[in-house]
Amino acid sequence: MKKKLNLAPVFFVGPHVILFAVFVLLPTIYGIYASFTKWNLMNEPVWVGLDNYKTILFNTESTFHTQFQNGLKNTFIFVGLSVPLLIVIPLMIAVALEHKKVKMKNVIQSILYIPGLISISAAALIWLLIFNKQLGITGNIFGSQIAWPTNQPYAWLIIIVITVWGGVGGNMIIYRASISGVAKELYESAELDGAGSIRRFASITLPSIRFPLIYTFVMTTAGAFNVFGQPLMMTDGGPRQSTHVLMMYIRQLAFGNGESIAGMASAMAVLLGLIILVISALQYYVMNRNAA
Amino acid sequence: MSNQVQLDQPLQNRTGKRKGASDRSISKYISYLFLLSLCVVWVIPVIFGISTSFRSQTEVVSSGFRLFPEQWIFENYVAILNNTSTAPILRWLMNSLFIATTHTFLVVIVISITGYGYSRMNFKGRDTLFFTLLGISFFPGVVNLIPSYKIIDALGWVNTSWAMIIPGLAGMGNIFLVRQFMNGLPKELDESARVDGASDFRIYLSIIVPLIKPILIVCALFSFTGSWNDFLWPVIVYTDVDKMPVTAGLLLLQDIYGNYRMIGQLMGSAILAIIPTMLLFLFAQKYFVQSINLNSGIKG
Repeated sequence: MKKKLNLAPVFFVGPHVILFAVFVLLPTIYGIYASFTKWNLMNEPVWVGLDNYKTILFNTESTFHTQFQNGLKNTFIFVGLSVPLLIVIPLMIAVALEHKKVKMKNVIQSILYIPGLISISAAALIWLLIFNKQLGITGNIFGSQIAWPTNQPYAWLIIIVITVWGGVGGNMIIYRASISGVAKELYESAELDGAGSIRRFASITLPSIRFPLIYTFVMTTAGAFNVFGQPLMMTDGGPRQSTHVLMMYIRQLAFGNGESIAGMASAMAVLLGLIILVISALQYYVMNRNAA
Repeated sequence: MSNQVQLDQPLQNRTGKRKGASDRSISKYISYLFLLSLCVVWVIPVIFGISTSFRSQTEVVSSGFRLFPEQWIFENYVAILNNTSTAPILRWLMNSLFIATTHTFLVVIVISITGYGYSRMNFKGRDTLFFTLLGISFFPGVVNLIPSYKIIDALGWVNTSWAMIIPGLAGMGNIFLVRQFMNGLPKELDESARVDGASDFRIYLSIIVPLIKPILIVCALFSFTGSWNDFLWPVIVYTDVDKMPVTAGLLLLQDIYGNYRMIGQLMGSAILAIIPTMLLFLFAQKYFVQSINLNSGIKG
């Protein structure tokens, strides 16, 4: 009797625990371990202590140091440019859609949501043609004589455009749902008191959707730090590595042509992971405290 | 003092109302202008991609940017579907379809069974286990990327569909959602069934699963589109052109069609890769735009 009671949960929870151990726990621990080793993915890793970290962070003559610095800088540029837009634009859309007199809300919402369901590689092929000097919009309609993917600041511009185009949908849905949950009476009484729409937004809408705002801000930022597909497809890191993000270096070192430098790549991955953790925690802490 | 307030009150109300009303019609036009201009920008790439896939190479090169073709041709699609060597699009689409469908099917099974365990069963350390796993899963995934490849390699799954089907089943996000949803169902349901002698498996299958269908559908849809659109992982685990999914294949196309020599075909391939998720959205729109996807959020 007792035995039977103990075994049933094993069948329900057990299979996933095994999956979790093999595909999440083990690789995470191994990833941290590998960052302290010299490893080429084929042979056994050789323990080198903090050497990888020392090289990446302090050895100014090493290419790994330059790569990490450049990759991290570019990743931060991407985060800094994309995250505010991915919060503000969806919020503006949600507010505009909430307007009583706006019609066809669902059609508009679908149109703005759909790019989020398109894979980055398919989307990038189309957008690259749009930004093509000879065949696209930039040359033919705006008369620009510059090849956008290979010149700054246009290279960043097209990366951000495709990111915003594909990325506003998710946050828009979350904001819409939260705004429609705010009590209508609040707006009505504010309107009677003569509060304009900007005032109503600032003192009713924003405070009421505090939790979804924090949540989307943290998640969007963490996602943006993992950026990879947009720069790989749109600019391939150019011009002169100025859009080469950290994730691209990590993949290149571990899986690129020539011998794999997986230990060094793992150390970069751990550093990126730590940065994401610290920034997420900071965001959560600061926003929660300021709002309380 | 109190008199004055009373006198002022109605006047303030009236001006307040008027200001609100005119304010609202101005803000209506601003809202429309903003939303419609966004919509135009949002659909242009899709229309442009579709129409270019029906244009001949000479027309694309000679007449520059046009939203619609001068002459609609189907040769691009014929050429795409006949290409079975350098860029086997049809093969890639089949791979993607197999991967995404199998993955989704397994996700639904795993999250419903595991969710049942964490929500409806009582065993020692249940919640500790659940929250420990949940906590670990918040650790940034970039750290386990390289060892994950090594594990897939050790299992002999490099260049096979399993590389994309199985690892994603380990995630905690969907299980969290299912558990939340199940916790909202009354306990009396399974207790009365248990009194009647029903086993856990029986309760799971005939009582719980039918009740959690809405959340399972949502998780299934996001698993399918997530798997279909995944990019970083397939770019790492596939080198065999015949085995890769369409997202990784399109990366190769950029080189194969190099310098935009076969633009119509390039656009046609991109459009074909988009169609399945679009169809899914058309048929299941209401599930996609529920705010339940709070979790499925933002993938890189």
